[in-house]
Amino acid sequence: MERIDEDKLIDEVTGKSYEYGFTTDIESETLPPGLNEGVVRTISAKKNEPEWLLNWRLEAFKVWSEMKEPDWAHVEYEKPDFQAISYYSAPKQKKELASLDEVDPKLLKTMEKLGISIEEQKRLSGVAVDFVMDSVSVATSFKEKLGELGVIFCSLGEAIQEHPELVRKHLGTVVPQRDNYYAALNSAVFTDGSFCYIPKGVRCPMELSTYFRINQAGTGQFERTLIVADEGSYVSYLEGCTAPQRDENQLHAAVVEIISHDEAEVRYSTVQNWYPGDQDGKGGVFNFVTKRGLCHRASKISWTQVETGSAVTWKYPSCILKGDDSIGEFFSVAVTNNKQQADTGTKMIHIGKRTRSTIISKGISSGHSQNSYRGLVQIHPGAENSRNFSVCDSLLMTDTCGAHTFPYIEAKNPTAQIEHEATTSKIGDDQIFYCQQRGIEEEEAIGLIVKGYAKDVLNKLPMEFAVEAQKLLTISLEGSVG
Amino acid sequence: MSVFTDKFSATLPPPTRKSERWKYSPIAKLLNHEIEISKASAQGLNGWPESLMPNPVLNLDAYLVVFKNGVFEPTLSDLPVSDGVDCIPFSKMDQSGPLEFSNVYHQKEWIGELNDTYRQDGLSLHVHRNVKVDRPIVIHHLTDGINVASFPKHLIKVEEGGELNVVIWSSATDRSSGMYNGLLEASIGPNAILSLEKVCNEGGKVFHFSHEHIVQERDSKLKMHTFTIKGDWVRNELEIISRGKGTDSVFNGAYLPLGTEHIDNHTTMDHTSSDCTSSELYRGIMYGHSTGVFNGKVFVRPDAQKTNAFQQNTNIVADRGAAINTKPELEIYADDVKCAHGCTVGQFDLDALFYLKSRGIDEKAAKALLVEAFLADVLSSVSSTELSAEIMSLYTERHGW
Repeated sequence: MERIDEDKLIDEVTGKSYEYGFTTDIESETLPPGLNEGVVRTISAKKNEPEWLLNWRLEAFKVWSEMKEPDWAHVEYEKPDFQAISYYSAPKQKKELASLDEVDPKLLKTMEKLGISIEEQKRLSGVAVDFVMDSVSVATSFKEKLGELGVIFCSLGEAIQEHPELVRKHLGTVVPQRDNYYAALNSAVFTDGSFCYIPKGVRCPMELSTYFRINQAGTGQFERTLIVADEGSYVSYLEGCTAPQRDENQLHAAVVEIISHDEAEVRYSTVQNWYPGDQDGKGGVFNFVTKRGLCHRASKISWTQVETGSAVTWKYPSCILKGDDSIGEFFSVAVTNNKQQADTGTKMIHIGKRTRSTIISKGISSGHSQNSYRGLVQIHPGAENSRNFSVCDSLLMTDTCGAHTFPYIEAKNPTAQIEHEATTSKIGDDQIFYCQQRGIEEEEAIGLIVKGYAKDVLNKLPMEFAVEAQKLLTISLEGSVG
Repeated sequence: MSVFTDKFSATLPPPTRKSERWKYSPIAKLLNHEIEISKASAQGLNGWPESLMPNPVLNLDAYLVVFKNGVFEPTLSDLPVSDGVDCIPFSKMDQSGPLEFSNVYHQKEWIGELNDTYRQDGLSLHVHRNVKVDRPIVIHHLTDGINVASFPKHLIKVEEGGELNVVIWSSATDRSSGMYNGLLEASIGPNAILSLEKVCNEGGKVFHFSHEHIVQERDSKLKMHTFTIKGDWVRNELEIISRGKGTDSVFNGAYLPLGTEHIDNHTTMDHTSSDCTSSELYRGIMYGHSTGVFNGKVFVRPDAQKTNAFQQNTNIVADRGAAINTKPELEIYADDVKCAHGCTVGQFDLDALFYLKSRGIDEKAAKALLVEAFLADVLSSVSSTELSAEIMSLYTERHGW
């Protein structure tokens, strides 16, 4: 007991000294590297946050300081130095380039292949664009339309100021601060992200996308997204950069929380194409993301992801099927090339009765990469007549890469039905030969076969995403003829 | 420190739930037991319980090697004495030189280190080149007593072209408690064949740990079966390393825990060489409040091209309160391979039950038929019909079908 009191006292004393020591620094634009309680307080103060949120962040920081960085994933990397990162810098004014001629030609070439319009290319590469540019005006008209329906779609920072009761009610309810190491870190230092609320019975008429917003606000590496779909509503949400933006951040520790109330449906689609590092595995983004959705009665959450970027990926979009008759889905294509490492999969936690889940995971590994599927299907004792179906396929393109499957299945109910299957194979020489005979070049043939292999997942993507995702697949596997 | 570690010290710490390999099989309960190694020497039939026979498979014409609480029983055993087969317990060996163990399990796992430190006795079984052993060799381990520990380790070597069938049978009387920690190391030479059946039929409350480490050379064949008929807390570990080209490994298992029993099967198939095949099938039915664990790893190393590996785990959770935790894993580092695994958790087929019942077969008998069919795929590949019949009849007797 004495020990605890002592700790408490130390906490109180140290906490207090920071409280005063850092207030003067608030005006500065970028905090020096390092993480301590003062930094957390500063971030909160800079964002003019209410006290409950500051306390919430501090609690997360305390938890994080006591946690150890996990190392169970099938990836190898040099652990980031958390004291060498600056945790806050005011929205940076990107250096504006005068014309497309100043942009890295390699980047332009990739964009061309992706089929991005010239205007879009300018915007994505940071070229100054006219204000009447299409997408901007489109975005504004979208916002008006959404407003009429009562849909709230804004940055999390804005939501905290304008809809504090909604944020407070839902923040951290699906991914609590102490959930895992990176979620705790994110909870302590998240700078911004997206907030989305769909009122009762509203079917959101368009796909919501962070696409516009990210480029406007330039949200940082500790993003936090909160999506709340009220009873009977529907929303399809797109996240991501489909364009090959060169992100300078080494570490991305994002959190996504989805709450799907009774009879609501949320579709969440991601195409992730962050910098994967060069051919020797130098540089590249560490993508350590916690994504989780909570399903109430008869609701549905569907995750679709196409992962082609990042040097190290550590990501398990999950569904907690708490309500009876709720449904969880996970569709994933993960491509790794060169020295990339991906450890990705999903968790389906069946708690309610008659809950159902489907997992379709397609891994494609090439170069010297390592691609792992790691998934958990858990059937709780009360989950009567629950059903799970999982397929995890791996495609190997070279003899130097690796494809791995680690499914965890925990069943505690005698009426549950779980099926899991996984296969590993390579592209057959006869398949390529067949295509070549018909005048299709080898590289093109591989693209064709890969697209066919990933079709089950690509079909689940919203149309405008699907086209880009397919092209992305081809680009990611360029030069990997095996 | 615990009562257990006070008596049995080791440099490696006992595994906790945090360790991935022991996540679903905590050993905390074992650590609260004050267990001792039996000091009794061989007693022959006088010390043998009436309820059991020294030969566990009566109808099987086999050589017999009997151990009670880890101590070799010469008067109850019948060792092969033909040319080309050396079958001697370590305690009776002339030369006192070190045994040729190659496995490093004792450096990796606490359980292995305990066996290495406290090992009592074991069998050295050496089959010479091109020798086919005429009868199966049954190694029978009996645990009888309260809080007794036994630490046997066996060494099997089948030289090029040899053939051998071994049955390792462990039993325990109902009053018994304690721990069985048995290790086995086997090497199968080029073109040689080893059939190994492992049966656990232990009454009482014994913590059963076993670890088999098998290395296969070029074109060798392994057929391995692991049956858990009865056991309060059982952990079976099997590690197969295919070291030469063209090996074939078949390893199957079945577990039908009742009550609060806990049965854990961990298997590792390590393909390090090309043109090899492996096939794994484990089936389990969890009754009452029992828990089952399955963890199967298949490694395909970079040089193991043209590997064909198959792994399947099928489970039935029969009653409310029972649970299964299963984790079939594939780790593949070569591209020209065919690897697949499947895993299911389900129930008895209601349509099939209805079909049988509508033909006048009562529910119990109908379920028994379904179980028999469920186990048939595993039992059918057992090396002798006498053995598979005995295993089936023990299951039937236990479950009252």
